[in-house]
Amino acid sequence: MEFLADFAFVYQSLIYAVGINGLLALSVYVSLSAGQLSLGQAGFMAIGAYSSALLSLKYDAFFPLALAMGMLIPALFAALISIPTLRLSGVYLALTTIGVGELVRVFFVNLDSAGGALGLSGIPEKGSFALIYGCLFIVLFGMFAFARSKFGRAIEAMREDETAAGTMGINFPRYRLAVLVVSAAIAGLAGGLNAHVSSFIGPAEYGFDLAVSILSFALLGGISNPLGPVLGAIVLTILPEVLRPIHDYRLAVNGAVIVIVMIFCPEGVFAWRIRRTGAAV
Amino acid sequence: MVGVRGIVAIVGVAGCLLLNLSHAGAAEPIAIGAIEILSGPNSKYGVAIKKGFDLALEKVNKTGVLGRPLEIAYEDSAGNKEQALNAARLLIGSKKVPLLLGPTLSGEMFAAGPIANQRKVPIVGTSTTAIGITDIGQYVFRTALPESDVVPVVLKTARDKLGVKKVAVMYAADDTFSKSSYDVMKIALENLGIETLTTETFSLKDSDFSAQLTKIKGLNPDAIVVASYVEAGAGIMLAKRSLGISDKVRIIGGNGLNSPKVGEIAGAAADGTLVGSPWFVSKQDPANDEFVRDFRAKYSEDPDQFAAQAYDTLFLVAEAIRGAGTAEPDKIREALLKTTYSGVLGKFSFTADRNPADSSGVIVLEMKDGQFHILN
Amino acid sequence: MLAQQIVNGVVVGATYALFALGFTLMFGVLRVVNLTYGFYFSAGAFIALYFMTTGGLSVWVALPAAALTVGALSVVLDQLLLTRSRRTDASEMSSLMITLGATLLLYSLATAWLGADIRRMPAGLLGVASGFGGVRFTGIQIVILGTSALIVWGLFALLRWTKLGIAIRALAENSDAATLMGINTRLTFAIVSFVSGLLGATAGVLVGMNYNGVQPYMGETMILKGFAVIILGGLGDVRGAVVAGVFVGLLETLVAAYAASSLREAVAFLALVLVLWVRPSGLFGVSEARRA
Repeated sequence: MEFLADFAFVYQSLIYAVGINGLLALSVYVSLSAGQLSLGQAGFMAIGAYSSALLSLKYDAFFPLALAMGMLIPALFAALISIPTLRLSGVYLALTTIGVGELVRVFFVNLDSAGGALGLSGIPEKGSFALIYGCLFIVLFGMFAFARSKFGRAIEAMREDETAAGTMGINFPRYRLAVLVVSAAIAGLAGGLNAHVSSFIGPAEYGFDLAVSILSFALLGGISNPLGPVLGAIVLTILPEVLRPIHDYRLAVNGAVIVIVMIFCPEGVFAWRIRRTGAAV
Repeated sequence: MVGVRGIVAIVGVAGCLLLNLSHAGAAEPIAIGAIEILSGPNSKYGVAIKKGFDLALEKVNKTGVLGRPLEIAYEDSAGNKEQALNAARLLIGSKKVPLLLGPTLSGEMFAAGPIANQRKVPIVGTSTTAIGITDIGQYVFRTALPESDVVPVVLKTARDKLGVKKVAVMYAADDTFSKSSYDVMKIALENLGIETLTTETFSLKDSDFSAQLTKIKGLNPDAIVVASYVEAGAGIMLAKRSLGISDKVRIIGGNGLNSPKVGEIAGAAADGTLVGSPWFVSKQDPANDEFVRDFRAKYSEDPDQFAAQAYDTLFLVAEAIRGAGTAEPDKIREALLKTTYSGVLGKFSFTADRNPADSSGVIVLEMKDGQFHILN
Repeated sequence: MLAQQIVNGVVVGATYALFALGFTLMFGVLRVVNLTYGFYFSAGAFIALYFMTTGGLSVWVALPAAALTVGALSVVLDQLLLTRSRRTDASEMSSLMITLGATLLLYSLATAWLGADIRRMPAGLLGVASGFGGVRFTGIQIVILGTSALIVWGLFALLRWTKLGIAIRALAENSDAATLMGINTRLTFAIVSFVSGLLGATAGVLVGMNYNGVQPYMGETMILKGFAVIILGGLGDVRGAVVAGVFVGLLETLVAAYAASSLREAVAFLALVLVLWVRPSGLFGVSEARRA
């Protein structure tokens, strides 16, 4: 029993991180599944983290409310920037999201009321294992249900062949907006949860490196189904810890793993398609 | 019938067994943990600290602690908060260390400190100089002189000895240490009545400072106060020169510029830079001479402040464990509060809130020809 | 003072432009988001430094030597990393991820091997500042300006007037059609890779000398600004890269000098986002008509 308690203590941060990264992977999965490459997840996460943390710290807000705001505010932000952004596609869209993500980070670095570079510390520990994994499962389940529905099919059509999808009457702008907003909300949720289990957040955490990590979870796992990104997140979160003994070369091995997997399985490691009722896969 | 030989044999074996048992008990080392940056950017600080610890460890183990050898279990944080945190959890939860040394950076301490505090394991930072470190909790100690003790001394000296009345301030806004250092500088400047003509910021990874410095040049300050690490600091010094700002306008740095590397990179442009430090390599006293000599012999290079502070801290910690009489975290914590030690940084003891008690040893150093000397 | 700030801005801008030239070629022509380009920047600087210190070569020899070495490296890496995905016509995202992983791997190995410390890269005599009319600049800065101009002219000439240039442009427009026209696409890709690596390395050496410091990660910080510059200038457009680079440098400097230095970081990204929102093809790019 003591062994379990010890294990839980030693690996607590890791266990939380796996759950949070799973959520982040799902957030980028949502946009990737519609064919949009979004590298702004770190920015949305930052907005969610700071919003909920500030509410908890400065106003001692009711935690579910703080968390909800942590989802709502990034979603609103996403909606706001969607109009000019969603006209773009492919690499241009990706670069816009990079730019937006960096602007968010610079904003928080310069926001003295949020601590600037020093960030916020002493955030009450209101998150928990149950909450994080609960949210993860709910979102995952939601993704599966969604994928099997009419909306899911529409989005997959958008990703596979834009032209054909267009001729089938799919309302692009509406779907794209929905996808971006949902993706931002999930990232915000991850941010809010993360803030409330690690008492300390700062703008440096939410930079380009994080955005790239999140993307790598999804691409490693494959985006044909929602489980892929989560599995990718699990592998890439645990890998650095497992490689702890080779500390100097940890990042190198991480990079090598990404390269090898992407060259030989560009569809991702866990790629299998979702069965839908009726029609053939 | 057991003959004489038999009795001798039995006594012999029993004796050996007994000796072995007691020997095994005595030989079991006391393992303390250390979280330092051993890889990645900023590893120079962590590696210097490790060298300081290891050199001291050799000497401590000549006599051992409570009859047992002392051992340090190192974990690399690679400068990453998450990893520092995980390392703390590993060392406390799995290796069950009674004390932690480190982490290297203040930002890492803010992440790992709460865990150590929560589990009632004393954690001693040797290089964490930001504001608020010891506020984390009762089990958080630091042997590094906080910036708030060092910076005012340098600025006061600049004002009184060099007639500095108005300055420009530059700091790396996106770095925790630099911002914290800046906060200290701001307060000190106000208290000393030195006018701040302008405050310019930059990003830690920037290489171009010409815009800020040209603006500063136009305002004619007596000195430029800089809070950042070596890389940016050296870049500022070089740009200052090539933009034609007079050498009389010195650079006054926080702890981040307290490294001979600054002179290495910026060359002659670094001459005249002022920093404050409780220690520097040519400090004349027997303890320091021995330390520098032994360090050079073991590592073929000169020690820096990080190594020196680590060195002293290990002796201090060993003393505390001896004083506690046992390797129990709580007892060690109590002993730390009472322990005094005299080392290469001078006399040391903790205040009630676990900061260094004695800040009178701060020396103002001036860079000249790639080395720091005492300002005269 | 304004004059000096303008000079500052143009010089910074020239360093961005220099970096962007090889990047825009790689990105615009090969349609590859090649993040290893940033590594070529760092690698060029380190290799030149090695030639200069251990090899004792003068900078005029070390620079081309380093550039050629990195050019070759670029071809090799390109073959290793991207051939397969090119053959299977995988998405742009997969090349992004592959080069990203490769960058991570390469930077870590370089840091493990060389240490993350910043190293001196003295510009020697070129580093001496001189000035007139109240404006100061150094010799190396003139070299950077000159080199950028030279490269732009060279690339322009290459693309416009040589057979190879036509092949490159054809490849950029439609690689299948180019193959059908008898163009050796594999060779052309390799050449573009080579030139791109060469340019990145050159930028690395000159910028390293300008700031008297090189560190393994220096390419990483440049690459994000690089994105902004090449988009602003138009993907694949060489003139655009230079104009955009200088523009961004100038804007950053003037904002830092006259508004607030804390806003400086945001300038490049704001420019990036605004351009993408308003005119994604950039200043000089041709608007791509959306078909169907």
